[in-house]
Amino acid sequence: MTEVFGRRPFLVLALLAAALLVVPFLPLNDYVLHILTVFLIFSVFATGWNLTLGILGLKTLGHHAFFAIGAYLSAITAYYGGVSPWLTVWVGALSAAAAGVFIGFPILRIRSMPHVAIVTLAFAEIVRLVFSNLKDITRGELGFWGIPPFDPITVGDMTVRFGIGNAVGSFALAAVFFLAVHLALLLLLTSRTGLTFLAIRDSETAAESLGIRLSAWKLFAFGVSAAVVGLSGAVYAHYVMILTPTSTAGPEMLITLLAMIIVGGVGRFFGPIAGALLLTVLSEVLREFGDFRMLLYGLVIIVFVFVAPHGIAGLRLGRLRKAERAEPGTAGAT
Amino acid sequence: MAEHLLDVNQVTVRFGGLVALDRVDLHVEPGRTTAILGPNGAGKTTLFNAVAGVVHPTSGAISLDGRDITKALPSRRSRDGIARTFQITQPFVGLTVRENVMVSIVSRGVAMREARDEAAEYVSFVGLGPKMDEPARTLSTGQRKRLELARALATKPRLLLLDEVTGGVDRPSIPEILDLIRRLRDERGITIVVVEHNMEVLFGLADDAVFLNRGEVVVTGSMAEVAEHEAVRRIYLGDGDA
Ligand SMILES: Nc1ncnc2c1ncn2[C@@H]1O[C@H](COP(=O)(O)OP(=O)(O)O)[C@@H](O)[C@H]1O
Ligand SMILES: [Mg+2]
Repeated sequence: MTEVFGRRPFLVLALLAAALLVVPFLPLNDYVLHILTVFLIFSVFATGWNLTLGILGLKTLGHHAFFAIGAYLSAITAYYGGVSPWLTVWVGALSAAAAGVFIGFPILRIRSMPHVAIVTLAFAEIVRLVFSNLKDITRGELGFWGIPPFDPITVGDMTVRFGIGNAVGSFALAAVFFLAVHLALLLLLTSRTGLTFLAIRDSETAAESLGIRLSAWKLFAFGVSAAVVGLSGAVYAHYVMILTPTSTAGPEMLITLLAMIIVGGVGRFFGPIAGALLLTVLSEVLREFGDFRMLLYGLVIIVFVFVAPHGIAGLRLGRLRKAERAEPGTAGAT
Repeated sequence: MAEHLLDVNQVTVRFGGLVALDRVDLHVEPGRTTAILGPNGAGKTTLFNAVAGVVHPTSGAISLDGRDITKALPSRRSRDGIARTFQITQPFVGLTVRENVMVSIVSRGVAMREARDEAAEYVSFVGLGPKMDEPARTLSTGQRKRLELARALATKPRLLLLDEVTGGVDRPSIPEILDLIRRLRDERGITIVVVEHNMEVLFGLADDAVFLNRGEVVVTGSMAEVAEHEAVRRIYLGDGDA
């Protein structure tokens, strides 16, 4: 499993935690903090998607649907029900998980990857259309605004506020969320669950012949993956406080997220984080180019698929391996 | 009549217009080693797939220990004690040799830590100890065949189906693999069904044999009887492969 997690995954996560802990103490303006917050939320999104795409090995192309489901269901419950976002995000995550298991059933019967891709893509389009057409509730493409931010937290005489405009609080929340989800997934995936997912990825037939219940494990993976993505959608909703169906479940989201995962490294646990950082920053830098960004991302995806199929994470690992091989030689020379 | 571990009764498998198995019978007694012989395309692998649950018989029934398993999932059959290796090997290429074997062990509900130690025993048994923590993608065909053997053994099977264990293996390694199989039978009492294209390999290993041709059972009997049989000789000579 070293290929997927590296040698010391928990150490890597601890280093990431340390880096995130330092950020609030750096002289960064709110704009940079905002970009980092978006990066953290999208990292979780990408990691969640990578679970089915890279670790289970199913070519699912519709996870932006779960992002939208998590975002909208949490926002709707908080806005209309007056429930605290601290609670509604779980509603979002669970709804996404339920949708994941629901779409998982037909996918169990499909053995051809292009068909899995088409079915999941179509599902995302249906979800987008549903949120577009439920205008009485979501206001469709006009945008669902007025979504409440997370309630402030008061510690002693200090109050931390969240939502766009409260850069430090939002960053801190996103960082805790990012670390908690990655820690939970790392604990889950370095156990027998991860081993089983990887076995299914490499050979379903062999895995099944060794006693693995394919359907149950795939549905479980779908549920967890959709829940993680849904949770990231919900956190996003209460951060930006406005949603549109196309910005959450539209093709731009699909392309951006695929680019993050592919550039970072499909099936590498930490790959999508690197991809998310790179693409989030790149999107800001290229903001003035508008729609041309998608063209560029498309190009980036194609180049990576052909030139570096294991993404940034794969490149690094390749160098490490070479270094290891070189070592005994140099030791012998001394 | 002795109690059978495996009964394949009048099993027919069709792929569209092709009849891959035609009313095949196979009865395996516990503790014995049975060879499935036959030229390429005879239906040997299909028979294994039917027993393992990967293909579904068009008609007929399969039972293990007298219990019908015709409709059971492959994973269920594995837990019931059927294990197999593949003619075209299917290692988990992204996992190490040890991790490949751990998959079988954790699927029985064993925790990762214990599975690591237990897996090492199976890996050593098949002679892949030096490759223990290497990725399976680095293995040669012969080593992959051994890996599959270790993985199958780690499910603690009662019935082991070996599909062309010597296929694609370099000649010098063949006796060693055959010796491993002999030890499984003699030391662990595992019932083995072995598919072989090359008949010579099986003398001294198989007790019983079934000869398939074009999906039909041509001869059944002891290994010696089947090997001597006139129809078998004719088909093998005609096939030009013996
Ligand atoms: N999944 C399948 N779909 C269609 N035809 C198949 C399938 N599996 C095997 N066959 C056909 O069934 C026949 C028997 O194949 P197989 O059982 O692999 O033979 P053997 O293992 O004896 O060489 C062959 O003609 C083969 O092409
Ligand atoms: Mg075959």
